[in-house]
Formats: sequence, C-alpha cells, structure tokens
Amino acid sequence: MAIHPRKNWYELTRTTNWTPSYVTEEELFPEQMSGHMGIPLQNWEGYDEPYKTSYPEYVSIQREKDSGAYSVKAALERAKIYENSDPGWISILKAHYGAIALGEYAAVTGEGRMARFSKAPGNRNMATFGMMDELRHGQIQLFFPHEYCKKDRQFDWAWRAYHSNEWAAIAAKHFFDDIITGRDAISVAIMLTFSFETGFTNMQFLGLAADAADAGDYTFANLISSIQTDESRHAQQGGPALKILIENGKKKEAQQKVDIAIWRAWRLFAVLTGPIMDYYTPLEHRKQSFKEFMYEWIVGQFERALIDLGLEKPWYWETFLKDIDELHHSYHMGVWYWRSTAWWNPAAGVTPEEREWLEEKYPGWNSHWGECWDVITDNVINDRMELVSPETLPTVCNMSQIPLVGIPGDNWDVKVYSLEHNDRLYHFGSEVDRWVFEQEPEQYQNHLNFVDRFLAGHIQPMDLDGALHYMGFQSVEELGKDAHDFAWAEKCKPSNTKSA
Amino acid sequence: MSFESKKPLRTWSHLAEMRKKPSEYDIVSRKLHYSTNNPDAPWELSPDCPMNLWYKQYRNASPLQHDDWDAFTDPDQLVYRTYNMMQDGQETHVQSLFDQFNEREHDLMINEGWQNKQAQCYAPLRYLFHCLQISSAYVQQMAPASTISNCCILQTADSLRWVTHTAYRTYELGLTYPSVGFGENERQLWEQEAGWQGLRELMEKQLCAFDWGEAFVSLNLVIKPTIMESVLKPLQAMAHENNDTLLPLLIDSQLKDAERHNRWAKELAKQALSNAENNDVIQAWLDKWQPLADQAAQGYLSMLMGPDYSRAYLDNNTTLQAHLAVA
Repeated sequence: MAIHPRKNWYELTRTTNWTPSYVTEEELFPEQMSGHMGIPLQNWEGYDEPYKTSYPEYVSIQREKDSGAYSVKAALERAKIYENSDPGWISILKAHYGAIALGEYAAVTGEGRMARFSKAPGNRNMATFGMMDELRHGQIQLFFPHEYCKKDRQFDWAWRAYHSNEWAAIAAKHFFDDIITGRDAISVAIMLTFSFETGFTNMQFLGLAADAADAGDYTFANLISSIQTDESRHAQQGGPALKILIENGKKKEAQQKVDIAIWRAWRLFAVLTGPIMDYYTPLEHRKQSFKEFMYEWIVGQFERALIDLGLEKPWYWETFLKDIDELHHSYHMGVWYWRSTAWWNPAAGVTPEEREWLEEKYPGWNSHWGECWDVITDNVINDRMELVSPETLPTVCNMSQIPLVGIPGDNWDVKVYSLEHNDRLYHFGSEVDRWVFEQEPEQYQNHLNFVDRFLAGHIQPMDLDGALHYMGFQSVEELGKDAHDFAWAEKCKPSNTKSA
Repeated sequence: MSFESKKPLRTWSHLAEMRKKPSEYDIVSRKLHYSTNNPDAPWELSPDCPMNLWYKQYRNASPLQHDDWDAFTDPDQLVYRTYNMMQDGQETHVQSLFDQFNEREHDLMINEGWQNKQAQCYAPLRYLFHCLQISSAYVQQMAPASTISNCCILQTADSLRWVTHTAYRTYELGLTYPSVGFGENERQLWEQEAGWQGLRELMEKQLCAFDWGEAFVSLNLVIKPTIMESVLKPLQAMAHENNDTLLPLLIDSQLKDAERHNRWAKELAKQALSNAENNDVIQAWLDKWQPLADQAAQGYLSMLMGPDYSRAYLDNNTTLQAHLAVA
C-alpha cells in the first residue's frame, strides 16, 4: 500500500506528552488554566477521543462542506428570503445570528484553552480542530447575515450584539464566558463540549434547521446543519475527560460542573430558543414544539450519556422537567412586552390557531399565559397601546441575567431567591441559579446585572430611553417591534367580541 | 423616545466609515473580540474572578501597548474558507509525494546511516512542533485583536500539520527500518539526548511566558525563525546529502507555512513599533530569548551536523537578526 491508513500512525500524532524538567509540571500546566485537579500528566495519556480525524482529512472535508454551504447561498440569493418570508422568520434569523455568531467566535478561545492547557494530548489535538471549527462558525455566521445589512439595521446586531450592553447579549455573554472563555481547559471540555454542545447545539442547529427547511429558507437550513456536523465531532472531547476525572476519584467535582452548565444552558435556551420555536416560527412550519425538541435532543440524550459515564442526573432534574413545560412561555411574554429592548422583532404568536396549537402542546396554556394574552389582545384591539409597552424595568436574576418570571393564573408563584454574600444582596430567579452562585461565588460576585447598573447610576437618564441608549441602540429602526405590527390581533377580534 | 430614524448601512456599523468596499476578510475578521471592550472585566463575570485577573495581568497590562491593535491586518488576508482551500491543495501535494516515493521504495535508497540520523534528529521533531502548536494556541487566546488571533489559529493548525507529517514519516520509516527505534525512542530523545535539550529548555520556558506580548515576541520573532533557519533548512540540506529527496520536498511545503507565519509576525512587529515605547520592550524580550534560542540551535546543529557547523549557523543568524531589525 502506498499511503498508510490513519489508524497506523494516528497514535504517534498524540504521543506528545513529555516530562518537563526545566520548569515544573505545575508551571507548564497551571491548575488555574488547566483544571487538572492534581491528576498527573501520565494519567491523562489514556484520554481517547471517540471521533478521530487528521489534518489532511480535516482540510479536505471542511473545504467540501464550505463549498456546499456557500454555493447553496449563492444559488438561492434570488429566492429573496428577506422579502418573501414571514416577519417571524426574519426575527429568528436576527435573534440567531446576534446571539450566536460572536459567541461561536469566542469559543475559539475555549478550544484554544484546551489546545494549550489540557494535559491530555488527544484533547489538545482535537481542540486544535475545534479552534478551526469555531473560527468557521464565527466567520460563516457573519458572512451570511451581512448581505441583509443593507436592508435592515437590526442585522447589524449580528456583529454588534456581543459588543453591546443589551440585556440578551449580557445574558449570553455571562453564560458563555462562564462555561467557555472564563474557565480552565478541563472545565471547558465538560461544560462547553459535553454539557452544551452535545445536546443544546443539536437543538439549535438541527431542530431549527428542520423548521428552516420547512419555511423554505434552505440557505439557513443548510448552513446550520453543516455547522452541526462540526459540533458533533468536537463535542466529543468532554466524555473522555469526564472518564479520566471519574477514574481518578473526581466524580463529585465533575458532576458539579455538569450540573452548573446544563442548568445555565437551559435558562438561556428557554429565553432565546423557546420563543423562536413556539411563537416566532410560522405555525405551518413548526415541525415539533420546543418541549418535544427538548425531550428528544436534551432530556433523553443527557439521561443516556450521564448513565453511560457513571454520573447522576443533576439534583434539580424534576425542577428542570417542570420548567420545560412552563418557563419559556413566561419568558416569551416578557420579551414581547419589553420588545423595544430586543434587536429583533418578537412575534406574539397568539392568533386563535396558534393558541389552539399551544394548548394542544402544553395543556393548560390557556388558563395560565392565555389569560394574560387575553388582556394584552383586548388592549391592542381597543387601541390602548400605552398598556402593551413597559415604562419600567423588571427584576433581573444575578445568575441568568434574565428577568424573574412566574407562572400566571390561579397559582401565581413568582418568587425571588435571595442571598446575602459579602454584604451584598443578590437576587435569583430560581433555587438552582442561587445554588450555582453558591458553588463558586468568586466567579460571579461583584458582577452587576442590568438593573444593578441602573440602580448604581451607570444608566442615564434613569428611564427606559436611557436604558435603550445604554444597551447600544443607535436608531429607531433597531428597536424591537411587534413582528407583524399587531396584525395578529385582528384575527382575534371575533372570538374576543364573542367572549366580551 | 429620543432615537433618530436612520437608513440601513451597506455593511457592519464598525466598517461603515471605510473608504473601500469591505472585503470578505474585513467582514468576517475584524473586531470580533468583545473581551477588549471593558478593561475592568474582560469577561462578563466577576471583575475579580481568576480568569479576569489573568487577562487583566497578562493581556491588558502587558508592557506591549498599542492604541489600536484592531488595525492589524493579516498580510495574506486568509479566512477559514480560503485557508482550507489552500491547505487542501498543499496536503494533496504532500499525499502524492508520500504515495509516489513509497511506490519507488525511496526509503531503501537513502544513504546508509541516514535512517539512524533521522531517528535521532528528525522523528523527535513532533515534540517540538507540538510545542509550537500549543504555544500558538496560547497567543491566540490572549491576543488583543481578532485579526491577530486568527493568524494564530491558522498557525496552531499548521503546527499540527507538521506534527502529522512527522508522525506519518516516523511510522513509515519504521516499516523499512524496524530496529532503529522509530516510533519508540522519540520521547526519550526529546527528554534526554543532548542535542535536543536546548530546544526543550527553550520551549518549556517559552510556554510559561504568559504575558501575551512576550509570548508573541519569543514565539514568532525568535523561536520560529530560529527553527526555520537552524532546524528545518539544515535538515533539508543534510537530507539532500544523504540521497533523501522526500524530506526536502516535505519541508518545502512546511516552509511555505513558516514563511506565511513570518509575514504576519513581521507585520505585527511593524505595527507594534509604530508606538516608539515598544522599541525597548521588544528589544528586552529579544535580548532575553535570542541567547536561549541560539544555544538551542547550536545544540541541535551539533547533533545533526557536528560542532563545526556552529560558525556557519552564527553567520546565518546575523542575517536573521538583520532581517528582524527591518521589521
């Protein structure tokens, strides 16, 4: 044979650990950046990445993938997605690109953390490909929305969101910085790749791709499913790292990292992806509900993966399952009500047909959120628009950076979980968010959420207008509006009149 | 609301003032680091959390300072898409070299003894290349502009490319010469063989230079040019002398990467030197790292070619120094 197959020489590419002698092992791999938990170099050499690739394969396959994604984009440019799609779909594109593009780019640094500081040679090599993947995801998700800049100023937020103090951008950064850029190599392997990329990105990139294809946006569907093929490779770095931690008696520490990351990912997904899937996607294009996607891609996946590794389900699993039924409906109502603070135009998604769908997917929806939407709808129909826009700010969680919400209806249960720490009172939206803070106060203390900044006088003038300027909005066209300019309320008129 | 109505922009707001139409490189490469916006808390966490302290110390407070690192432009203006196209071409070339030379039983035709020299001086290179890989990954995560970080991402990948070539050839040479330790002795040689110790000392110490400016200067202005001139090129020359035609062609392909790395590094050095205060800072780092690199190169060259080569190397190095001074 003239070319030797990868399996014959692959082992040598990752036989690269050595015993340092001019500096100490701890100097070369400082705990703060490495997160080795005192486990020596040689114990990491058994790290075995399940998904193997080599440099020549990587550049060849990735060249092909890009060629596919960019040619679909070029071929479909005349499809005029922007002009022809439902405004709810355009809002999805805006929310997605703003929340994802620069976050993916920041993930290069997380992969770089593993490439430099992981004690496992296989991890360092796979993370090198991971750095490349995340460069791809950052760049391609800037290139694709860029063409829309000239049509709509909100698309500038695909680049600008992470540079801003907009609330959703703060929430996204606080989460991603906590699991990616602000952590050591092994924490990144567990919290980013195992806890976030194996499940949640599947949901964003494959679940949303199914809706996109149905909605006729093949460019976007093709793009994000192509991205997911990279994710599913580099997401497999966390499993073998967890295995080594467990073998070396660090199960408790590993479990804690998994528990923190899954919870935090959930809260961010509930505010960004939940409304997209259950409210913004035009009804006829919804393949599954957010809850069904959650059960298929997240709940089942984690239950299997955690058992396979010998870890436990997070202690809050029952709370989490209950949250899947409820949380994003409340978040959606909040985002829609405070829509001027978003860089996209939230779609209300509550026409009679949509409400019927919501009631079917979430039995009891009408008696909780439906009752609130009744009041909102009535105000819109009767032109009491001052009642469907906010004048103040909500209370914001010091962990998720998302407003506190409860379940409306008979069992209205909004609750603040507070904690006094170093003479400061922190407020959290759930017991689990408070628990996360208590695990590592040094990671979170002294950070100011949006309302803390308001109260500290960072935002002037101290009103909604001042807040919008502080968030980085530059023109009236950028402020979020109702995606359909309240046309949905028209559809509600007959039934409303009947009930009145 | 006190917001004006504004027309859509033709590009990102931060590029709107550019005189020329933004290129694909501009659109997808510039100003992607948000961690440089708030000097008190690079990451959206406690300003005093360990990672924020690390970035405040080793990046923000680096002696290497410039008002506008974001102005840096990769002279090759590579983006992910074009990099893969370019390197897929290079790898197709290398794969075809491997294929053809294997068919011709190249490894049987090298001079007697060269297999031992390669086992000693070539195969352990994967450790050195891996050090370049992980060191480049460090500069990537610490660099203050995305245009700089991006050059480092590609440099990290290129270094893994070299590791991969070396692993492949180590395996292949071992098939023809099973008794000289290919694939078995490299770690021991890297850790103990006299000729490697200077390079290992250099890399271990460099990997602990956490200030981003010092990491960049030591890696890209000292170590990488030294390795190019004192390891890769002499190895090429020796291979030629020993009837080995494959290794020089392989190294030629790697040198294309190395030359590209030198191009961006010189460009960044040039930008840094536009702030006169950086002159002394960079000089101090060169003074600190060049002697270690010289010592490492001499050790390697003595192992590869014998001690007499040292003088020739030093001459070469003077050229190298002059070369750097231009930047």
